Amino acid sequence: MSARLHKLIDQPDNVVSDMLAGFGAAYSDTVRLTDDGLVLRAAPKAPGKVALVIGCGSGHEPAMIGWVGPGLFDVNIAGEIFTAPGPERIVQGIKAADRGAGVLVCVSHHAGDLLNAELALELCALEGLSNVDMVLLYDDISSAPKGREPERRGTAGLFFVWKLLGAFCEGDGDLAAAKALAEKVRDNTRSLAMSLSSCASPVTGQVMFELPDGEMEIGMGLHGEMGMGRQKALGASETIDLMLPPILEDLPFQAGDEVLVLLNNSGSMTLMELFILYKRVAEKLAAAGINVYKSWIGPYATTQEMAGFALSLCRVDDQLKALWDAPANGAYMKQL
Amino acid sequence: MNDIGPEDLIAMLTAIAARIAEGRDRLNRLDAALGDGDHGASISAAFDLALAEVAALPDPRPSDIWLATARSLMNGMGGASGALFGTLFLKGVAAIHGKERLVKTDLDQLWAAGLAGVKARGKAAIGDKTMVDALEPAVLAFAAIDDAAAAWRAAADAAATGAASTAELIARQGRAKFLGERGIGHQDPGATTIALMFEALDCYWRQMKNGKT
Repeated sequence: MSARLHKLIDQPDNVVSDMLAGFGAAYSDTVRLTDDGLVLRAAPKAPGKVALVIGCGSGHEPAMIGWVGPGLFDVNIAGEIFTAPGPERIVQGIKAADRGAGVLVCVSHHAGDLLNAELALELCALEGLSNVDMVLLYDDISSAPKGREPERRGTAGLFFVWKLLGAFCEGDGDLAAAKALAEKVRDNTRSLAMSLSSCASPVTGQVMFELPDGEMEIGMGLHGEMGMGRQKALGASETIDLMLPPILEDLPFQAGDEVLVLLNNSGSMTLMELFILYKRVAEKLAAAGINVYKSWIGPYATTQEMAGFALSLCRVDDQLKALWDAPANGAYMKQL
Repeated sequence: MNDIGPEDLIAMLTAIAARIAEGRDRLNRLDAALGDGDHGASISAAFDLALAEVAALPDPRPSDIWLATARSLMNGMGGASGALFGTLFLKGVAAIHGKERLVKTDLDQLWAAGLAGVKARGKAAIGDKTMVDALEPAVLAFAAIDDAAAAWRAAADAAATGAASTAELIARQGRAKFLGERGIGHQDPGATTIALMFEALDCYWRQMKNGKT
């Protein structure tokens, strides 16, 4: 399967602004777009609560524009395609989000996201904005070995951080507690991704990487970075049997644990395939004595039309289960 | 070399922007092998933005020019490249703050501060297959020679050699590190941009010298 080179866009240089304009028009009940392209909640949260901000590259929709709303993010700063926004735009986002109880900047660990968040916090300090902090988040077990977790990159499993942290920040916890909660979810989350195809950049029209038909890559980042293992493509159960054990061993997840499960569609997988994959995941987790509290299957963080998925597990306790059950209402993440 | 005023710095930036615009497609191709293929387009646009921002400054001092360039690169480009190329200029601002004109030793400090900032921000060292592989040898070569014309030439040569050396390295920073050995054979686009910058500066000062004598 190959990348889709022709995309239905207008000006390649305007894909992000055109996309935001359409998104804002479609979901004006949920989000409000500012003139400089920040995505805000249509109605800000009550004063006195910690605000959540994330800057990230575009091209991963519905992440993260679809995750702005009650129980989720306060502000998303969308960068260019696969490119983190610059520091002054992050500072604008921090100011727009602030409800007087501090702002937590979430960083999905990639060099650009981290460096620009660090610069933004330095600019905040220069301006006397002191009640701002950042939290570095990562989950991909293929990007650095066990014991070097802080070198790992942020991928689909941060889904759990966004949902649980978003719910936490509707409560009365302070900035330090919010950061600690984010780190707790991060430290209980592990992910591994695979792909059967490449994808094309909507800006350059170029294929992001080469992956021949009939082969699959395990350990894929969200930008088409090639991962750690390439081999002949297998069936659904064989693929899960390769991917689940290293995830379970890494934390480790053990008999008696309760987990949230995410099967994230990275672009053009069919739901049918994802359900077949999930069947095997459920069988293997049951056999391991691991109880699934809730599951979520679908496209949350995509890499254009890449055909692949990420499998993510998050170990939960009573606090995290309650946060999962709390309401959320973003354009593309809803919890009743 | 006579000392350097704001008009010289603006002409130097113009030369850099022109050289990077010429190299835009080559930088895109290098980035396609190691990243997402837009480095040439994004850094060329960011230097054009910097020229426009600098042109709008009323009566700028050298540090004003360097700060406007830093901000344009950081905010115009975004990503790791924007943060790192922006830092190269941003950290130089303090080294020349308050000066109306710059002498050779000011330039030494300007580049040294920028290099230190880039290394600290990116946590990269020589051999990591990053812009540091071209920048550090260029900055050291420049500072080692008192005569400015000879120093620009030595810096350009050192940057070009350093950039070429990245082809055989395994990346240890940035998105390319996830390629591992598969990145071998591909020259780092950030290091190549540094080489183009110093090549442009060397050409500019040779033309100035020839024009004036």
